[in-house]
Amino acid sequence: MSAPTKPIDIKQSLIDAVIAGLLALIVFGPIVGIVLDGYGFNLQPGRVAVLVGVVVVGRFFMSLFLQTPKGVAIAQSFENSGSGVHVLPPGYKTRLRFIIPLMILIAVIFPVFADKYVLTVVILGLIYVLLGLGLNIVVGLAGLLDLGYVAFYAIGAYGLALGYQYLGLGFWSALPLAAIAAALAGCILGFPVLRMHGDYLAIVTLGFGEIIRLVLNNWLSFTGGPNGVAVPAPTFFGLEFGRRAKDGGIPIHEYFGFEYNPDLKFIFIYTVLFLVVLAVLYVKHRLTRMPVGRAWEALREDEIACRSMGLNHVLVKLSAFTIGASTAGLAGVFFASYQGFVNPTSFTFFESALILAIVVLGGMGSTVGVVIAAFVLTVAPELLRSFAEYRVLLFGILMVLMMIWRPRGLIRISRTGVQPRKGVLAKVEGA
Amino acid sequence: MDGIFLQQMVNGLTLGSVYGLIAIGYTMVYGIIGMINFAHGDVYMISAYLAAIGLAVLSFFGVESFPFLILGTLIFTIVVTGVYGFVIERVAYKPLRNSTRLAPLISAIGISLILQNYAQIAQGPRQQGVPTLLEGAMRFDVGSGFVQITYTKIFILIAAFVGMGVLTYIIKYTKLGRMCRATQQDRKMASILGINTDRVISYVFIIGAAMAALAGVLITMNYGTFDFFAGFVIGIKAFTAAVLGGIGSLPGAMLGGLILGVAESQFSGLINSDYKDVFSFGLLVVILIFRPQGLLGRPLVAKV
Amino acid sequence: MSQTFYRKGFLALAVATAMGAASFAQAADIKIGVAGPMTGANASFGEQYMKGAQAAADAINAAGGVNGDKIVLTAYDDACEPKQAVAVANKAASDKVAGVVGHFCSSSTIPASEVYDEAGIIAITPGSTNPTVTERGLSAMFRMCGRDDQQGVVAGDYIVDVLKGKKIAVINDKDTYGKGLADATAKQLTARGVKPVLEEGLTRGEKDFSALVTKIRSVGADVVYFGGLHPEAGPLVRQLREQGLKDVKFMSDDGVVTDELVTTAGGAQYVDGVYMTFGADPRMLPDSKAVVEQFRKSGYEPEGYTLYAYASVQALAAGFNGAKSNKGEDAAKFLKAHPVKTVMGEKAWDTKGDLKVSDYVVYQWDKDGKYHQLEKQK
Repeated sequence: MSAPTKPIDIKQSLIDAVIAGLLALIVFGPIVGIVLDGYGFNLQPGRVAVLVGVVVVGRFFMSLFLQTPKGVAIAQSFENSGSGVHVLPPGYKTRLRFIIPLMILIAVIFPVFADKYVLTVVILGLIYVLLGLGLNIVVGLAGLLDLGYVAFYAIGAYGLALGYQYLGLGFWSALPLAAIAAALAGCILGFPVLRMHGDYLAIVTLGFGEIIRLVLNNWLSFTGGPNGVAVPAPTFFGLEFGRRAKDGGIPIHEYFGFEYNPDLKFIFIYTVLFLVVLAVLYVKHRLTRMPVGRAWEALREDEIACRSMGLNHVLVKLSAFTIGASTAGLAGVFFASYQGFVNPTSFTFFESALILAIVVLGGMGSTVGVVIAAFVLTVAPELLRSFAEYRVLLFGILMVLMMIWRPRGLIRISRTGVQPRKGVLAKVEGA
Repeated sequence: MDGIFLQQMVNGLTLGSVYGLIAIGYTMVYGIIGMINFAHGDVYMISAYLAAIGLAVLSFFGVESFPFLILGTLIFTIVVTGVYGFVIERVAYKPLRNSTRLAPLISAIGISLILQNYAQIAQGPRQQGVPTLLEGAMRFDVGSGFVQITYTKIFILIAAFVGMGVLTYIIKYTKLGRMCRATQQDRKMASILGINTDRVISYVFIIGAAMAALAGVLITMNYGTFDFFAGFVIGIKAFTAAVLGGIGSLPGAMLGGLILGVAESQFSGLINSDYKDVFSFGLLVVILIFRPQGLLGRPLVAKV
Repeated sequence: MSQTFYRKGFLALAVATAMGAASFAQAADIKIGVAGPMTGANASFGEQYMKGAQAAADAINAAGGVNGDKIVLTAYDDACEPKQAVAVANKAASDKVAGVVGHFCSSSTIPASEVYDEAGIIAITPGSTNPTVTERGLSAMFRMCGRDDQQGVVAGDYIVDVLKGKKIAVINDKDTYGKGLADATAKQLTARGVKPVLEEGLTRGEKDFSALVTKIRSVGADVVYFGGLHPEAGPLVRQLREQGLKDVKFMSDDGVVTDELVTTAGGAQYVDGVYMTFGADPRMLPDSKAVVEQFRKSGYEPEGYTLYAYASVQALAAGFNGAKSNKGEDAAKFLKAHPVKTVMGEKAWDTKGDLKVSDYVVYQWDKDGKYHQLEKQK
């Protein structure tokens, strides 16, 4: 280590370690050390000793590290809020110009090499990208905390399932209709909550999400309740991807005369989904540069100032809700056809929390960040599969650590600066 | 029919007082740092395990009489759960104090996952339980019907209100309470006046966890069973109660809890229990539309 | 106790994975997936699946394997979530398994079976009783257990014939399994001329059912039927008793067949007299005697679905052997045409994949917190 400004105080670190050890003993002692067995218990002191040992050693080294110059810098970074938008120099060209075509190329080649399992994980990842992008408009750009976002996702998924059952709608007709239905629901929810601020909004949206799920679960005669509804496989110009035709179409492998391939359905979903994600990304990219996008962000920063400037806050908020909801509706359709079956267990509050985590972790308002975070949060649980019962525990730890490591998200929003035109500047100076 | 109505009232009040106790944790934390502590329901879940462990250990050492048993369990549970509240705040929320408002929220969701799975791995996925401590019930004849209240429920009502009373006293009349209120009003100003706001925030987490622990002991006694997922449903309900009463307000949390409990009981008694949660969330939405700050909350003053 | 239990489960899993890895070395292996909740709230059932399946695979391998190939088991965890069930079903298809024993929750089995059907994999579920599982025209989806509608008929008949119920409250837990079962029972009751006076649901994860209990009291029910699992059944029966309904008979289903019911009810005094329907205990059958002995010798009590999983692996092996092919479709055709001898006796399937004979019987809990098959079934 290079010479620190202050000598490292080992005694202080030792004290820190002992205190941490004591706390760990109290925390882990009863729950880990005394295992309930009926109305009695068994002692497991070994496990406690290991955990406490890990905590003591870890705390000791952390305390030492925090005294080095590097550690001090890290500790100080927690004190600064560092808010605001990072402004890039004018004329800055982002590296994304190269990365985006490369990503598209990889995405196109990918299905050729991937096996079915990897394909399904990537499809799930893309569905969450869609959800994240939609919620990012509501939370990230417009600053409206929505904890019931999963309701719109459910409306999309059930839109396809019930639309098929009662109206005979297929994948293609459900895609726009579900988006519209979800957008309408967003609008309906948006109206009454306009008066509410911050966390009251959060709980009302949470309530709305729960109400939708409970109605889906209880309205047995219409939604099938907990038994769920079967969802038709997607078709392509009337051609089906199943082994046998189910909806009066012709299986695609019979039509073109090649051998049946069960992956085909997923490759198809992947392809359509990928195109939709690209389209949504583009629309979102344009929206943030349009007046409505600027209005969202302005409203997030200061509502009163916006209203005094003459912005119609009702329209602005409603448009954010509507567009965000319709994206979730799209995602719902893909989810339903991916799973081939929907029931209310897929639309719990936890799902809303996960989507919110994607937005916050990605960096509020940042598109690239959301894409990365969506993949991290969907692929991580699959990668952790080999840890068996520790999987979700590790996932939770990962979530907390990532939040502490990057409290403002993986990617900060940045904006290219604008250079005032020369002529204007000269005039001002001349005056 | 009268008997049935009164019985539902009793059911609702006991359920509601428990919601209220947990809602206090949400409301205090929100009042002081403006954060929804999603892990609070799981802190309650941990306290239920602690209560069962406390009971098991005490009975193992031959403590038989109910007052000692329950007192020992209460003290043990409240202390250890308080430490949980402290540690969680230190590890997961304090580093995020100065970042965006949503960062601690996500961190709390992570903590919630951690606590659930930690309890599951440490204690096994099985349902846990405690034996019935207070047997028997009181029975009142009302008109044609009757109302039956178990002694456990009476104990819960009394304990919940005593807990609330103690807490109200602490917040209103002690130095610690004044520091809490000052920090809630204006954290920066409070720290300028010499209050160690970090420590006050820690206290608030400890108090919130302690109230959850009280609820944990009471609920475990009453229902006799719990598992590692027990915090989720009750957490959401308690959070709803906190918002209903006006988040940030202590009497509001208790009132919100009682209203929610009674509304649920009466609705499922009179109409249909399938839709009782729809009704309680609907009630919340309607109340918030007409009183956006909740029943007893202070109206938001928009600063220009 | 539960910890050692756990570690053993983990070991079994580790062994299974290790064997899965080793299988790349030998070409002549036949892969069978065991899919179920290895984590989450229902993890204990996943453990039973794995134990039973592993023992069966070992026994069959020792006896020469399937068409000369050795069975290799792989565990697939769905945590009883439909989303994960589809993911692991696709993983199983990618791993080219020949057959699957699973899943547990009906809401997982239904979407996963579509994937198996597409991939031509034969699947036998030891525990999913929802009728929809086999009602969708899939060619290779089988059941080792009965169906909710069969169980509901047994329960409904028993309530009418033996319990002589006049006013019956039918409660469900608003989940696929409990709701399906409660509906089947209510249907049978109505068919027998005793229409339930109350049909309502409670929320899983809650513990306070006092409002519902008061409602049961207000309609004056003399029998309460509950379709659901033990975490809710225990508090429900306890709160019934606590509100003074001592004489109301309580009946439930095979979701409460575990000693944990006593724990969740707060003591054996509350479960005393509770009725439930369950398949005739496979541990009592003459065919299972040797296998049960072997399990007990290794320190494991083959509870719940352990023997169902054992029998499922046997049925898969018999199907492959009988068809002289390791293809799922051939084995499915064979099983639908031929009865198979398993640890649970001889089993035969109809064209949908359901067992031809269901063996639901009524049990009763006693004051010591143990359950017994009742002599008087009709």
